[in-house]
Amino acid sequence: MTDRRPVRTFFTALLTRQAWAELLYAIILLPMGVFGFSLTVTTLTFSGGLMITFVGLPLLAGTGLLSRYLGQRWRAGANRLLGWDVPAPPPFRAKPGLLGWLSSCLRDGTAWRARLYLALQLPLGIASSVAAAFFVSYGIGALTYGIWYRWLPCNTDPRTHVCHHAAALWNEHYIETTPAILLTALAGLVIIFLAPWIVRGVLAIDRITMRALLGPSWTSSRVEELEQTRAQAVDDSAATLRRIERDLHDGTQARLVALAMNVGLAKEKLAEGGDPSEAAALLERAHTTAKDAIAEVRDLARGIHPPVLDAGLDAALATLCAHSAVPVELRTRLSVRPSPSIETITYFCAAELITNVAKHSGARRAVLDATTTGSRLRLSVFDDGRGGAQLGGGTGLSGLTDRVRTVDGRLTVDSPAGGPTTVTVDLPLAPLQGDSPRNSLQEGQH
Amino acid sequence: MRVAIAEDSAILRDGLAQLLTDRGHEVVAAVPDADGLRAAVEHDPPDVCVVDIRMPPSFTDEGLRAAIALRHSHPQVGVLVFSQYVETRYAAELLAGSTRGVGYLLKDRVADVREFVEALTRVAGGGTALDPEVVAQLLGASRKTDTLASLTPREHEVLTLMAEGLSNAGIAGKLVVTERAVEKHVANILLKLDLPPSDTENRRVLAVLRYLES
Repeated sequence: MTDRRPVRTFFTALLTRQAWAELLYAIILLPMGVFGFSLTVTTLTFSGGLMITFVGLPLLAGTGLLSRYLGQRWRAGANRLLGWDVPAPPPFRAKPGLLGWLSSCLRDGTAWRARLYLALQLPLGIASSVAAAFFVSYGIGALTYGIWYRWLPCNTDPRTHVCHHAAALWNEHYIETTPAILLTALAGLVIIFLAPWIVRGVLAIDRITMRALLGPSWTSSRVEELEQTRAQAVDDSAATLRRIERDLHDGTQARLVALAMNVGLAKEKLAEGGDPSEAAALLERAHTTAKDAIAEVRDLARGIHPPVLDAGLDAALATLCAHSAVPVELRTRLSVRPSPSIETITYFCAAELITNVAKHSGARRAVLDATTTGSRLRLSVFDDGRGGAQLGGGTGLSGLTDRVRTVDGRLTVDSPAGGPTTVTVDLPLAPLQGDSPRNSLQEGQH
Repeated sequence: MRVAIAEDSAILRDGLAQLLTDRGHEVVAAVPDADGLRAAVEHDPPDVCVVDIRMPPSFTDEGLRAAIALRHSHPQVGVLVFSQYVETRYAAELLAGSTRGVGYLLKDRVADVREFVEALTRVAGGGTALDPEVVAQLLGASRKTDTLASLTPREHEVLTLMAEGLSNAGIAGKLVVTERAVEKHVANILLKLDLPPSDTENRRVLAVLRYLES
């Protein structure tokens, strides 16, 4: 499929293991569908019928679990046989106690979706096996027509009453001349080569159904994503605190100790009635150290929260661009003010991206664009450098991606070798607000 | 006094070297990490080492590890651990075994230059120098509250200075009393804590510390 020569790919598909695996799957989907459909229908009707007795609910619960189990085995088998990647749903977790177990079973969305899948296997199985059988039998039949047509029963032409031992098209064109037979064989060949693609097409529907009904539900995928990003956010803030502590310890604290030491020495010199010029030299050194310490604390504080952000994102971005080593053109269209946390993330993303441009790209100019549209904010940084930037390429881009994901944002990199590079960060205007699940679902499927 | 300094902050390392040189001491090595310190001591053992706890490469406690190792391999070399934090656990590890020629001070103490150099001299001479902060932590954590409460305020002060490693003369200087008076206080304290009178300050420090820890 990844081959760049489509004609060749088309003809060699028949020879691949994948094609035969799909054919096999398409055929066994039918008996499985018959079984699955009957299981779902009978267990639902039986449980429904027995609902007035105490057997009904446990039966419904138990068969739900059975459907869940069968569905998952089928999903795993299909993944293995066909190389699909339908993810597993979260495992079944029962609440303690018999009643807890019962209600957990009955409220397990995965089990209900599995029932639905098993029932839908019937139409899917019919479609896939009919497609497979039709294309295979007609293909082989047409290819070998030239051999067996003469043994066909007598086919009498209603107009001329002549007996033809041949098949007829539209009841009047008898396939018995050599060109017609060769043409039929050719058509058979085409059908045979077409067969794997048709089967694959039908199975694509099964794959979509399976992903929707046997995979994790939107909610559980979302929970997993939130768990991941929450862990990242916690790690991130712990790492930030560690970095701040280290900066304070190695920089500011050391300078203040040196400052105290020099002032202490000067004090002693003066108390002992020593040379005042030596004391002055010590104080001079202490003075310099004190100024360095002030500058360091200022930088550190700015690294935690840049005060200019309080004046708005555009002001902060303007300062950032003005300090860049590479000339940066700033374009902002911020009609709405994002929430403070989004402003901070946007600012640090912009700072990191501009630093990357200066450090890695070799660009002569860059453009920073920040635009709000609807409930989203889009930040993009363009540069005319050498390109080739990648996520996880050690340029801090993967760190940014993680950071952006914690507020349901996305980071995309477009950086062909040779440039130019555009990194785009798409963020909500507020973390998890104005962001209906429906919207996010569409986001997630991109 | 011949001193080796292991400190990763250049500004502090140079400052310390300057300070000691000014006072007529010889700085035989000034290195930024524990490996450098080990090599320097192997090559030419000084009287005392000043060792920062947090140094490259891991910036955790390699200085402390190196100091403990030095105390075993070169017992005659005094070790003054010099840190921006005092941790009772680190002090306990450092003082495990003996209090001969060992010190643990906050970096802030360098601001009082004379006291700092005195402490360093004490360690070089085989004595002890414990930061008041460490002693305060030990006193605060001690379970012997009843006995400690039976000390008079002056005796409490003397006990603290004893634990820091000061000699009777040092304590007398600090409290501006006669040495004779200090001796009397010390005898009273040892009696109240039920500790044997000891002839050397080292044993006295050790006894006091064990008492506070137990």
